[in-house]
Amino acid sequence: MSERSIIHLNVADFAVAVERVVDVRLRRRPVIIAPEAAVRAAVYDMSEEAYQSGVRKNMPLGRALRYCRGAVVLPPHPDRYERAMARLLKLACPYSPLIEVTDYNGHLFVDTTGTGRLFGPPPDVAWRIRKAIRADLGFDPIWSVATNKLVAKVATRVVKPTGEYIVDAGEEAMFLAPLPVDLIPGLELDDLKRLRDFNLTRTGEVAILSLLQLDVMFGKRSQYIYEAVRGIDLSPVFTASQKQPVLRADHTFGNDTNDVASVCAVLYRLAEQIGADLRRRRLATRRLGLVVDYSDGKRTIRQARVYPATAHDNGLFAAAQKVLMHAWTRRIRIRHLRLMCDRLTFPPAQQELFADTESRRQRHDGLMVALDAIRHRFGFGAIQVGRTLSASPI
Amino acid sequence: MSGRTEKEPRSSSRCHLLVGTSGYSYTEWVDAGFYPPDTPSGRMLSLYARCFQITELNYTWYQMPQAEAVERQRQQVSSQFVFAAKLTRTLTHEIDPHNWPRDADRYREGVAPLMQSGQLMAVLIQLPPTFNRSPSNRKHLAHLLDALAGLPLAIEFRHRSWVHERVFSELERRQVTLVGVDAPALPGLYPALDVVTNPDLFYVRFHGRNAKGWRSGNMHQQFDYHYADDELHEWVEKRIEPMSRHAHRGVLFFNNHVRGQAPANAQRMRALLMERGLLSM
Repeated sequence: MSERSIIHLNVADFAVAVERVVDVRLRRRPVIIAPEAAVRAAVYDMSEEAYQSGVRKNMPLGRALRYCRGAVVLPPHPDRYERAMARLLKLACPYSPLIEVTDYNGHLFVDTTGTGRLFGPPPDVAWRIRKAIRADLGFDPIWSVATNKLVAKVATRVVKPTGEYIVDAGEEAMFLAPLPVDLIPGLELDDLKRLRDFNLTRTGEVAILSLLQLDVMFGKRSQYIYEAVRGIDLSPVFTASQKQPVLRADHTFGNDTNDVASVCAVLYRLAEQIGADLRRRRLATRRLGLVVDYSDGKRTIRQARVYPATAHDNGLFAAAQKVLMHAWTRRIRIRHLRLMCDRLTFPPAQQELFADTESRRQRHDGLMVALDAIRHRFGFGAIQVGRTLSASPI
Repeated sequence: MSGRTEKEPRSSSRCHLLVGTSGYSYTEWVDAGFYPPDTPSGRMLSLYARCFQITELNYTWYQMPQAEAVERQRQQVSSQFVFAAKLTRTLTHEIDPHNWPRDADRYREGVAPLMQSGQLMAVLIQLPPTFNRSPSNRKHLAHLLDALAGLPLAIEFRHRSWVHERVFSELERRQVTLVGVDAPALPGLYPALDVVTNPDLFYVRFHGRNAKGWRSGNMHQQFDYHYADDELHEWVEKRIEPMSRHAHRGVLFFNNHVRGQAPANAQRMRALLMERGLLSM
């Protein structure tokens, strides 16, 4: 494989950065993102000032406020963070077709391999993207340039909360050697504990060990650790355009709730929206996913296979209910639900084996067609099934 | 106007001239044939050093230099090879009024390996086109020069307002090199001067004369230019030779890096200087 050039952009404390754009008065004050009203609320994100005072992610809010008494507490706004990420992506798009958004947390990987003739050297591209982000959104992202995602990510971690780092090709292992092992992405808590047991705290100390020696300590994990501490990472930058299309439907509860009937009513409505979208595209889904955002900012994501592939509201709802059972594991009230489907395919053409099943299916099909026709003409809220009446209006 | 530092011009043959390029790590130079096929970027400096004895480090504009990385870079070349290093953008383009003195200290620490080995020819302070000769900018520049005192400094102005006798006098007093530039003949750009303000060093940068691409905002259009022989001849005769009489050393850098034109022009310039007797093998 020829030498690659990967830019990593990282907006430190992304949620706080977004809130500070929304309200500039927060810029010189410590900020903690956590659901204020929730019982046993935990910190979702915090500003650098709060971090310096000892506040950490997932810390109980009460304790966080004891550490940082002057902090402004704000509830999480996942929708805002998503919109900001979409904007970041848009600003980076002109420079490469290969851009990976890892999550809605202010991280972007841009693969600039082979773009030198068009846009110039990668550090200049990174600087220009950062300049565009500063001008457009007011964020000051950290950026790094390296030959792979792993080293680029470590480089931004090293200079956090502000700055830049260029790791030249061939210098990956030398760059990583003096750094603490917990800066290496992909090392799990068990790996770190085991390394501590052997008094191995620096990456270079681990890099001295052979694959066989690591095998004794880590078994199946040895290959990954062997490569990671040497700065070897062949994983590609996954682009948004390479991904399968994903259909989404969202609902944010006006009042956070843990009432089963209300949640199920909303879930049915989301299934209806997804179903209408699928039918409009003449497609069916083979997988459903559900994102549950709780009042305290925590998020649970679960997914399940849908077989056979379907675009029917009832079939989608049945599958969504199963996913909800796995996703809704806490007693905390729910703030936001998102139903997603991917692995889209053409609807199954095979008819049912038994006549009564087939006729029931045809009746359902007819109902769906009628509902879609009414909604297409008069709007989605023009007609609704009884089970969604308890859901708040769209 | 050439020498401002010596009443009697010296023989130009006593001036030690070096020619190089602004940066050396360009993957497109592989396609252009300057580097062999499949050259990894980690090998480029050592290959570059087979052709040239000096380079201008431009990554130090993007990133604060770090002593360990600079030392590793230094070890890739012979002790005769020398560097010029651009000053970091937080001291010239994105100045934080409170933190820049700390950055000046960090920069000094970063280039320390080159200073200690005697391989730092100059620190290039390239100022942005918007940096005019206002009282506040003059004050910042004076403080910056004080903060970097002891380093071999060279200033590249890009705003015409700095073409002023008092500016030259002050640079002369501080023994700071005024960088001569070759750029398109566009209104507002700093003109090509042959003023020598430091008897120890004169410094010229050839940016190319791509008037159409200059303000495109795209580096690849801006620096896409190939100097013709007569253009280089004119520089040698009209400016470099007179400047050589007023300085012990002179450095010439080609910044028209697109499609490998910089190393090609730099090699041609060296040949012309040899023909003129200004450069020996």
